[in-house]
Amino acid sequence: MNNKIIPKIIPWIIPIGTVIVWQIVSANEWVSTRLVPAPFTVLTSFYHLVMSGELFYHMEISLARALIGLLIGGGIGFILGIANGLSKFSYLFTDTSLQMVRNIPNLALIPLVIIWFGIDEGAKVFLVAIGVMFPIYINTLHGIKNIDAGFIEMGKMYGLKGWALFKEILLPGALPSIFVGLRYALGIMWITLIVAETIATSRGVGYLAMTAQQFMQSDIILITIILYALFGKVADLIAQWGERKALRWHKSYIK
Amino acid sequence: MGVPSLMEKAVINDEAVQIHLQQIDKSFGEKTVLNNLSLEIESGEFVVIVGKSGSGKSTLLRLVAGLEEATSGQITFNDKSIKDSKSSATMMYQDSRLLPWKTVLNNVGLGLKGNWKDQAEKTLDLVGLLSFKDQWPSTLSGGQQQRVALARALVHKPSLLLLDEPLSALDALTRMDMQNLIEKLWLSQGFTALLVTHDVREAVKLADRIILIEDGDITLNIKNTGKRPREFSDVSLVQMEKKILEKIMKS
Ligand SMILES: Nc1ncnc2c1ncn2[C@@H]1O[C@H](COP(=O)(O)OP(=O)(O)OP(=O)(O)O)[C@@H](O)[C@H]1O
Ligand SMILES: [Mg+2]
Repeated sequence: MNNKIIPKIIPWIIPIGTVIVWQIVSANEWVSTRLVPAPFTVLTSFYHLVMSGELFYHMEISLARALIGLLIGGGIGFILGIANGLSKFSYLFTDTSLQMVRNIPNLALIPLVIIWFGIDEGAKVFLVAIGVMFPIYINTLHGIKNIDAGFIEMGKMYGLKGWALFKEILLPGALPSIFVGLRYALGIMWITLIVAETIATSRGVGYLAMTAQQFMQSDIILITIILYALFGKVADLIAQWGERKALRWHKSYIK
Repeated sequence: MGVPSLMEKAVINDEAVQIHLQQIDKSFGEKTVLNNLSLEIESGEFVVIVGKSGSGKSTLLRLVAGLEEATSGQITFNDKSIKDSKSSATMMYQDSRLLPWKTVLNNVGLGLKGNWKDQAEKTLDLVGLLSFKDQWPSTLSGGQQQRVALARALVHKPSLLLLDEPLSALDALTRMDMQNLIEKLWLSQGFTALLVTHDVREAVKLADRIILIEDGDITLNIKNTGKRPREFSDVSLVQMEKKILEKIMKS
């Protein structure tokens, strides 16, 4: 029995211990609570943020920016990846340019984007879209190019062409690689959003953190940090779940 | 697997294709692979092609399948050029080429339209794998995967079945099972069969005619009229095998 429970307890010793030490440190005011708020204070602030509706007001817009940026950038990356994987001309025409743009860190565009879009929604969505586009593009392209040519020949022999060939062979064959790109893109999506929201915005989780900084509310800053961590984790879990569903056939998922 | 009960060709398949290759040349760049090769294959005939590695056997098969075009010369099916003929050729390869993301049944049904499930299930039953229909291909053994690939090729009711060393990756016992199965299905369905193999014993066991390809041309073309099923120990088969091997070794 011990053998089963102990491995479940061990990973939690450090996190829980940290919280306990943290509470003791701040309760005794060994460190200024303005710099390091007590866990209990953080919880109370969290409660107030939730009850006032303020938290959801900001979360809502952050999630919307992330999702819309992902859909636009991911969609474009996916379509370009497919097109360049299938058409030699399209590849020659666009790949070099895409690779050049890819080497610009998307956050370096912030000053320019602010000039273009001001601080409205377009700016954040644009930055996210640019950031997620490339990992999805590259992995989709890679996925399509790496499909066993024997499968395609076999498919054609059995009368598949056009859409049917794409649906039965090309897309499922590229899917494992596309998921790698998607999960990578999710990471970039959050990082882009975190930075973009602290620089130019009037609403969102990042804005919440910036105003908290001005008022020295370190408890709220901590909450926003934890929120971002949760967003990232949940997004990755959803992607993993989708991957497991879509790739049931894959060696790594067959039980 | 059941031993075939049907040992004489019971079916005349009207669709089975008659193939005529006339003075085929095939080169890849500078390299000439087939050189002025001519061959006639009767409808419903089981022709086996042997030859050293790199002699152009697969290339010949791919030409007949329409996957490559001859540099010069002409291939006709029932006296029509390949492009105009409506005959359905299917092909089996050394690797099964089952799509790992489709179940066994959906692999067999690949490219079928309409109400295909019944037909696919029946064909899977013919190769003895109906009970595996909902499994992923990767959970099957190599021999089972090849049987599924055979079912997938047969469900289209091919007028021509092309087999490019489909058994060479299998162990000896599984291979013998598969030889019997292929023979049985050929006898009962009557398609024209063109098999490439490295295994001369397999050739003499299955073939109506054995073709040896060397240096891009046919150097041996032997009829084999032995009654089926043939035992590997038949004196006439052993002699035929010896003759072919000697010819291969000489060059
Ligand atoms: N697409 C291609 N491009 C260039 N050369 C090719 C191509 N396909 C085949 N060849 C060449 O043609 C020759 C014959 O190849 P082929 O695959 O037909 O041989 P094979 O008799 O089937 O050999 P094996 O028994 O090893 O399968 C080889 O030298 C090969 O390198
Ligand atoms: Mg070959």
